[in-house]
Amino acid sequence: MTTARDAILAAVRAARPAATPLPDVRAAAAAFVHPDGDVSHRFAEVARAGGAHVVEGARVDVARLVREAYPDAARIVSMLRDVAGTAPMPADPHTLADTELFVCEGVLGVAENGAIWLPQSRLGERAALWLATHVAVVLHRASIVPHMHAAYEAIDVSVEPFGAFVAGPSKTADIEQSLVVGAHGPKGLTVVLVSD
Amino acid sequence: MNVALFVPCYVDQLYPHVAIAALGLLEALGITVAVPEGAACCGQPPANAGFERRAEHTLGAFVSTYAPYDRVVVLSGSCAVHVRSHAGSLGAAGAQVAERTTELCAFLHDEVGLDAVASLGASFPRRVAVHVGCHALRGLGLARPTELQGPRFDKVRALLGTVQGLTFAELSRPDECCGFGGTFAVAEPAISAKMGRDRLRDYDAHDAEAVVSTDVSCLMHLGGLAARGGVRLPMLHVAEVLWSEERRANSEESERVRSSLLAPRSSLGGPS
Amino acid sequence: MTKRAFELPVLHEPHRADGAVDHAKAAARFTADEARTDWHDGALWWVRAKRDLAAASLDEWEALRELASSIKEHTLSRLDEYLVEFEAAATRNGVTVHWARDADEHNRIVHGILAERGATRLVKSKSMLTEECGLNPYLQARGIEVIDTDLGERIVQLRGEAPSHIVLPAIHLKKEEVGDTFHDHLGTPAGLADPTALTQAAREHLRAKFLAADAALTGVNFAIAETGGLVVCTNEGNADLGMALAPVHVASLGIEKLIPRASDLGVFLRLLTRSATGQPVTVYSSHVHRPRAGQALHVVLVDNGRSTQLAREGFWRSLKCIRCGACMNTCPIYRRSGGHSYGSTVPGPIGSVLTPGLDLERYASLPFASTLCGSCTAVCPVKIDLDAQLYRWRQLVTAAGHASTGKAIAMRGAGLVLARPWLVRALGAAARGAMRVVPRRVMRVAAGAWGRARDLPPAPPQSFRAWYRANRSDRS
Repeated sequence: MTTARDAILAAVRAARPAATPLPDVRAAAAAFVHPDGDVSHRFAEVARAGGAHVVEGARVDVARLVREAYPDAARIVSMLRDVAGTAPMPADPHTLADTELFVCEGVLGVAENGAIWLPQSRLGERAALWLATHVAVVLHRASIVPHMHAAYEAIDVSVEPFGAFVAGPSKTADIEQSLVVGAHGPKGLTVVLVSD
Repeated sequence: MNVALFVPCYVDQLYPHVAIAALGLLEALGITVAVPEGAACCGQPPANAGFERRAEHTLGAFVSTYAPYDRVVVLSGSCAVHVRSHAGSLGAAGAQVAERTTELCAFLHDEVGLDAVASLGASFPRRVAVHVGCHALRGLGLARPTELQGPRFDKVRALLGTVQGLTFAELSRPDECCGFGGTFAVAEPAISAKMGRDRLRDYDAHDAEAVVSTDVSCLMHLGGLAARGGVRLPMLHVAEVLWSEERRANSEESERVRSSLLAPRSSLGGPS
Repeated sequence: MTKRAFELPVLHEPHRADGAVDHAKAAARFTADEARTDWHDGALWWVRAKRDLAAASLDEWEALRELASSIKEHTLSRLDEYLVEFEAAATRNGVTVHWARDADEHNRIVHGILAERGATRLVKSKSMLTEECGLNPYLQARGIEVIDTDLGERIVQLRGEAPSHIVLPAIHLKKEEVGDTFHDHLGTPAGLADPTALTQAAREHLRAKFLAADAALTGVNFAIAETGGLVVCTNEGNADLGMALAPVHVASLGIEKLIPRASDLGVFLRLLTRSATGQPVTVYSSHVHRPRAGQALHVVLVDNGRSTQLAREGFWRSLKCIRCGACMNTCPIYRRSGGHSYGSTVPGPIGSVLTPGLDLERYASLPFASTLCGSCTAVCPVKIDLDAQLYRWRQLVTAAGHASTGKAIAMRGAGLVLARPWLVRALGAAARGAMRVVPRRVMRVAAGAWGRARDLPPAPPQSFRAWYRANRSDRS
């Protein structure tokens, strides 16, 4: 008896159109002209336009900058040594539901869309990024690339089980196209840009 | 180069003054234009309605009528696109005619040139809303449509820019479809009418004093809606603006000459 | 052909008694409320305008479209190889890959996965494929609670309606209507219509569902053949909340969602959201390669007519679609008739080229719900020749005998007349003569569908041809 797999593959094989080449995306992307100026400047601009709060400082100031952004956060889970959490990352992600602030560090930022790559190793539990009411992401300025082509050159998305580009707090405009920040995920996102 | 003019059936029957203007315009530019008999239609209406096969005979008559000419200038963007897209399926002769077929404004802009058109000294001191028919726009590349990125260009505006006193009304939706769509106008009359009325609202909101288009079919639809709605808004083909029998200076005269082609109105029928 | 077992009621019922969709009739009913039509049209035009701004911000926009189109055409030309590559890579990652020939098989597989684990509380993120398969009613009939977690989808789910747009499911609803629905189902105060407050209420309601779910189902925006990975894009984070908490994650996708390499995402993620909403990217672009510790990850690859569409010479390019919805936002007919008037899972221009392939008779009117203006083709990020495909479907509809009888007779007549210039002239002269003497009131009625909203043009006494003969006889 033919399996569904065999039937589908046979049908596709019989149906497929004449082969056309796969374009060289890298070569094409190399020809794109990008805006001048500091990529981290552009990153901050676009991130803010997307609803993120962006602060800048030195590495040593991270804990203070995070505290200043969220003075009232009582239940904090932090993936960073230099920012103290009030609770460790739990084994059961469901218990992250009452987290007020989640602190982590991004691998890379993308200037054209204000997105930050956060793989699982930087999150501990994936759910932390969406259950916390607020999220603070530390990002080194030097890790900001101009666009998505450069991002995919710099990272191998398949190395870790999970990773996400995150471009601000969660949002929706599903009710009469009115933008509401804080849909199901975090209500706010702060990027802490550090230079060292 | 021998040039022939194709006048679509509805222009021939209902808007002869537009064809007269187009002919006069081309002749004033020093072009000898033949208007051969033998093809009343390009076959677009039945083809777009799904009856491509039935339209082949009509398209075939078009191809054989226009085969002897180097250039076939069509007084309609949608007809020109239809011929260019489909005549090739009728064989080598069809492919040749397709390649030689163009629409009037494209012909004037690309092959006659703006300087020659400007030398006609046309005058039309009105604020004009330009409506480039969708097929002329996206099918023939008469302008860069607002969807596409790249350097802006607009051949119709460039032509109208040679007309003294003419200014442009800048619309909210410069290239939204008017809603005619051939048989769509009668198959989906509610949406068709709504789309046309929305165009009229855009013209009104931007104080347009006249509508100028590449396609009489669009004008027929918009004009019919305007008349029904009691809106007085002159609707002219580009040819009528670029040329006149007497090089008129204003649109009232244009109206007069046009109406002189029509018999005196009876109280029972005819135009409102 | 797979018919949906259960038809959700829609705002403007577009079906005729014989089951065929009558877009024109549904559209006429929609536009009867002119103020609401203007509002709907304006809302979607605004999304189109935002798309334009986003496209203009990239000098390489047209180059990206060309790349995206080429990548998709190449992928479809070797789709079986990429499917095999994807399956191997995903399987190596600990993902269980299933294959479903049609909607029923998909539904049975999904149910089987849930039943095996005793899961009865499913949270779902947006998946037009599962809409197409009628998954929700299938599972609900078998005792599984299915919660659509995208806010727009949750709203229409509570109302018992189908989504009217593939990206903006509730675009047809006013906030007061959403407020009424939430009052009825979520207990919000009567009359509350503030979007922020309503969203907050939905957030709390859905959080409880995410935390209680024992299974999560997501759609897939892109499946990476080379790595076996899945990419899911959302603004709300609802897909992620589902995937990050539930012990089993099922990802359903149509086989056309494959792309060859992770680096191809650079092209698609730059185009997708700019085309859809004008944002440079969705808030979340999640890349899933392996399940969480202790979680089961299942992928269901679905055909359901896609291989048949792939075989259609004039229509296979419709499978390039990345479900951005830009064609709907720009379509002047969609904006003025609403998604429900198409009677199909996917409405608008792309719906009108994908759906007739499933049932030509039922969806015969869809390719005609268009003026062939070409705006859809011009906004499509993967350069699908939508207007050309609409034209081609029209030929197939009439060839199969599904054109309305009136139209068929009229066009047969038109074909006979238009090929004969002497007949056109004779009839034209007769018509003009009639137009000049018959009272306007009568002409209006005689003009039928034309005359309902439009006047006929004034009838000249002489055709151009007659004038030419009279004035240029030396040259004829």
